[in-house]
Amino acid sequence: MLTVCHLYPDLLNLYGDRGNVQAFTQRCRWRGLPVQVKEVNLGQPVEFAEYDFLFIGGGSDREQALMATDLKNRVDALRMAVDKGLVVLAICGGYQLLGRYYRTPQGNEIPGLSLLDFYTEAGEQRLIGNVVIEAELAGKKTNIVGFENHGGKTFLNGLKPLGSVLSGHGNNGQDGLEGVRYKNVFCSYLHGPLLPKNPVLTDYLIALALARKGYAAQLVSLDDAIETKANQAMVERLSSKK
Amino acid sequence: MKLQLILALVVAKIAMYLSKLSGRGRGSSLPGMLALRIYPDLLKHYQGQPRKGVIMTTGTNGKTTTSNMLSDILVYAGHQVVTNREGANLITGVATAFIKASTFTARLNCDYAVLEVDEAAFPGVTRWIKPNRVMVTNFFRDQLDRYGELDTTVSRVLDALKQLPENVKLILNADDPLVARLARETGQAAIFYGVRPDGALSSAAAYSREAKVCPFCGGTLVYNIYLYSQLGDFMCPQCGFARPQPDIEAVGVTSGGSGTQATICAKGLAKGIWPMYIPVQGIYNIYNGLAAFATALSLSVVPEKAALCLTTYTPAMGRMEAFRYGNKQVTLTLVKNPTGFNQALTALLAQRERQDILIAINDNDADGRDISWLWDVDFEVLAQYLEQFNRFICSGQRAEDMALRLKYAGVPAERLAMERDYQRAVEAALQGEGAVAGILATYTALWPVGKILRQKAERVIIGANRVPSVS
Repeated sequence: MLTVCHLYPDLLNLYGDRGNVQAFTQRCRWRGLPVQVKEVNLGQPVEFAEYDFLFIGGGSDREQALMATDLKNRVDALRMAVDKGLVVLAICGGYQLLGRYYRTPQGNEIPGLSLLDFYTEAGEQRLIGNVVIEAELAGKKTNIVGFENHGGKTFLNGLKPLGSVLSGHGNNGQDGLEGVRYKNVFCSYLHGPLLPKNPVLTDYLIALALARKGYAAQLVSLDDAIETKANQAMVERLSSKK
Repeated sequence: MKLQLILALVVAKIAMYLSKLSGRGRGSSLPGMLALRIYPDLLKHYQGQPRKGVIMTTGTNGKTTTSNMLSDILVYAGHQVVTNREGANLITGVATAFIKASTFTARLNCDYAVLEVDEAAFPGVTRWIKPNRVMVTNFFRDQLDRYGELDTTVSRVLDALKQLPENVKLILNADDPLVARLARETGQAAIFYGVRPDGALSSAAAYSREAKVCPFCGGTLVYNIYLYSQLGDFMCPQCGFARPQPDIEAVGVTSGGSGTQATICAKGLAKGIWPMYIPVQGIYNIYNGLAAFATALSLSVVPEKAALCLTTYTPAMGRMEAFRYGNKQVTLTLVKNPTGFNQALTALLAQRERQDILIAINDNDADGRDISWLWDVDFEVLAQYLEQFNRFICSGQRAEDMALRLKYAGVPAERLAMERDYQRAVEAALQGEGAVAGILATYTALWPVGKILRQKAERVIIGANRVPSVS
């Protein structure tokens, strides 16, 4: 049984974030793998050690501030779980929160959880639009598509990105990098949502979660005709623009 | 200066004429856009001209319907009305409506201007034109890439409302905490309308609820009953902010078949009880009707007249617009955000006939370039009632994403079809085995799909046979 933790679904459900959890669980169920989702909201107890996959989405500024305060009280437990290989996907605001700080236009640094050594600065204008990145998952190159909409520019300090930008802005619109990877933690600015349209990534996360439990078997392949079409439609649209 | 004004009006009127002549485009925004370019202060010449006042409608969903309903009522009550009926609700659309009705020297001859105003355009329009009444329908998540987050939208409208002169009256949805808050925060006089909390109407889908935190103190709102989205009988246990008692309240709402009905109980404005019937499906149309009714009463329209007029309401394009194709019933609905889409799905399910569904999703600027909102729509209800559906045909620029959404909602792949070509997609829906075809489209897909539908099927005006003789 895989157990998924959807963190703060009441607060962080912008941009169809729920779709990421849905993609993860549906693709488990379609393969007959038992899976359950636990939604954890503000102030509720959470034992990160009990989970196989943790999802953190993005919210509006006000909601994000509430979540940051709440998560700070739990950061030690979260760091320990991450060190032990907990599979984490954090999108947009959830992504920024895992870093060292967010510097506001006035120069104030709002501290993050410092789980990863990257930082974010307020940009002059929001980075918005469709994105294609190239990522390497399990030794294979794959195109990941999504939609980004973020005001902050993130700089990785040498950490490994999720992928390199083929079209769109990515972390900061400057260095051609998108997202970050650290142990089994995956962060990205891409919503849309991310996982349904990128089944290769979803299956990779499922495989990591299973491997951590000691099930190293190959995943049964699924009929991904629609997923592939949706992914390729965006890849083709953006490459024809160039 | 004056010459510039006349030039702007002449150019706009020529553009209007040409657009009418060519039959291309509806000419509901372009003339205003041209005129504003030549003479940016154009709108100030119209301020104060409508003899009895200006009524604006803003909010996320239901603006066009509510504004058109009020305009119909006022015309029926014998007033001359200028309105932007076609839903062109940006400053350019408002300008076009005024130019169309005015002389070359910007003289208007009307009692009322009834204007639908986009929530993002509201501050800009009210800078020039001061409304006497503002109807606020609701605030839902809508095209985040265009408006930014919902908090920003609400606070922009709030700031603009605060700037209005003191004689303004706000007509507010009591059931939406994000709207009801405007009374206290603006300090303006308010009339509230709402639907009486009734367990039978309560929706199980708690998806994409917006205001979970109290706008005043940040506490978590508690609901006695949810109607849909964040609408319902709400209360903040921390500071006491709660659903205000409505002046105009609908009781016993039922929807299905040919329309929606309820009983209106009025406490403020006028005292009494009137039957309400709106020949369009969907409970949300009761809200639109209530807002128009409340505003009409505040403008001294006789309640019976207002209620009677609503029974003949003809929906604007794509607002549950009804067609007939052979023996098949067809509806065309505009979808633009999760709440509206959920309401459209509820209305389709209420038909209880086997149906084919066509969903056309585009991602142009007017549709919202970010389509992730599709994942906030409760398509899972369709998978729960699969026996009611034949095929789901997905069309538009994002046909594949729509099909993907339905797949993950639990619709089996063999029921899904992707057809980017509108013509073939509409034909497939009409030729499906279902007794009903439900067609849903985003803004820029609505026009091409509607055009094809009009060529193939006959438009049905449900209210037409019910119009009582009007003296």
